[in-house]
Amino acid sequence: MHIDWWTLGLQTINVLILVWLLRHFFFQPIKAVIEARRAAAARITEEAEALRTAAKAELAALEARRRDFTAEGEKILAEAHAQASAERGAMLDQARAEAGRIVAEAREVLGREREAQRRTLEAQAAELALAMARRLLDLLPPRQVTAAFLEGLAAEMERLSDAARNDLATAGAITIATATPLPSELQAEWRDRLAQLLGAGPRLAFQHEPALIAGVELRGPHTLLRRNWRADLERLARALPLTPQVHDVQQLA
Amino acid sequence: MTSPLETHPVWQLGPVPLSMPVLVTWGLMLVLAGGSWLLTRRLALRPGRAQAAMELVVEAVEQQIRETMRVEPRPYLALIGTFFLFVLTANWSSLIPGIEPPTASIETDAALALIVFVAVILYGLRVRGWRGYLGSFLYPNIIMLPLNLIENFTRTFALMVRLFGNVMSGVFVIGIVLSLVGFLVPVPLMALELLTGAVQAYIFSVLAMVFIGGAVEGEGGNARERKDA
Repeated sequence: MHIDWWTLGLQTINVLILVWLLRHFFFQPIKAVIEARRAAAARITEEAEALRTAAKAELAALEARRRDFTAEGEKILAEAHAQASAERGAMLDQARAEAGRIVAEAREVLGREREAQRRTLEAQAAELALAMARRLLDLLPPRQVTAAFLEGLAAEMERLSDAARNDLATAGAITIATATPLPSELQAEWRDRLAQLLGAGPRLAFQHEPALIAGVELRGPHTLLRRNWRADLERLARALPLTPQVHDVQQLA
Repeated sequence: MTSPLETHPVWQLGPVPLSMPVLVTWGLMLVLAGGSWLLTRRLALRPGRAQAAMELVVEAVEQQIRETMRVEPRPYLALIGTFFLFVLTANWSSLIPGIEPPTASIETDAALALIVFVAVILYGLRVRGWRGYLGSFLYPNIIMLPLNLIENFTRTFALMVRLFGNVMSGVFVIGIVLSLVGFLVPVPLMALELLTGAVQAYIFSVLAMVFIGGAVEGEGGNARERKDA
């Protein structure tokens, strides 16, 4: 067996050169692209992980915002409920006040109507009483009725004090109003009668006033003596609790 | 028929005689390096079929280094990968009519074995240092020093002879059969030679890994296994 040392040396150099060539043109480029792919995959994985983390954070933020929205919604709902309740209360209060005002107005109107009705009834009653009194008066002779009232007036004058009679006699003219016209002879009779009661002859004037209904009324400068039904009715009206006003009675009369 | 154990120069380049294995090796170098240059010019992150095949080869070699040597494969990838690709293409070059594979000559196999022998020493010194590497010859005890020293040479010699014997015998048998029975009969033997060539390339690469791994074993898992033992 023969060894060709030239061939051995050349083949050794050839293999070493081939190692360098393949390292430079084959293994290094292939390894570089594999490493680049791994780096790209790692980068993509990291990016995906970062995106997933960001997505999780975004999801958490959205969840928090959703919770905030829910809380905000509940708060708004609660505020709306409170506002609605307040408005309902205000409306109820307003309605109550309005109802109270309406009731008060109704009561006032009812009171006025009742008062008016009462007055009407009283007026009617007074009118009825007046009619009845007139009927009763019509049953009596007017002259005697007036004479009776004049007698009562004379009795009342007698019960006056001397100073009052003196004042009545000297103060000025005296007017005697009667419900029915007083005949002249009766006027003369009463001139004498008053002269006796008052001393000196006072200046007398007779006046016919149907508003007195029945009776007489003596009017001096400082004295008023009333013996007539109008005065009696006024006294009765003042005495009764639901007495109509004087002017109403006057109107009714 | 010439003796397969002898190499004859076919061309004279000045004082240097060039034999057929050298010329075929140059052709293989041109094909391998040129092909690599052509195929790796436009590598992309999304590989095509050719790039995927090349990546598959590189990844397979790396994985084999990782499993055999239990170390990071990067420093050994070019050497081991070149052993595998060169021996494989050299063995398969016999399919070309008139071409005798370079690995069928003892000089080429000796050159490969010599490179492995030197690589073992250099890697061992680089990884473990002088003391660590030389101390490995004393394992498991000093009595083993002569055997370990002799083993370094004998296993290199066995590496050379194994590759040479397998490839040369295949070529020799095919040549004999071809000279005896004619044109198509050696075809099954040539197909078998393809398988044999691939297996021999794998075996040579694995043995190179084992030898280099034995020299740098303090770096990886072998050291742990040793401590456990």
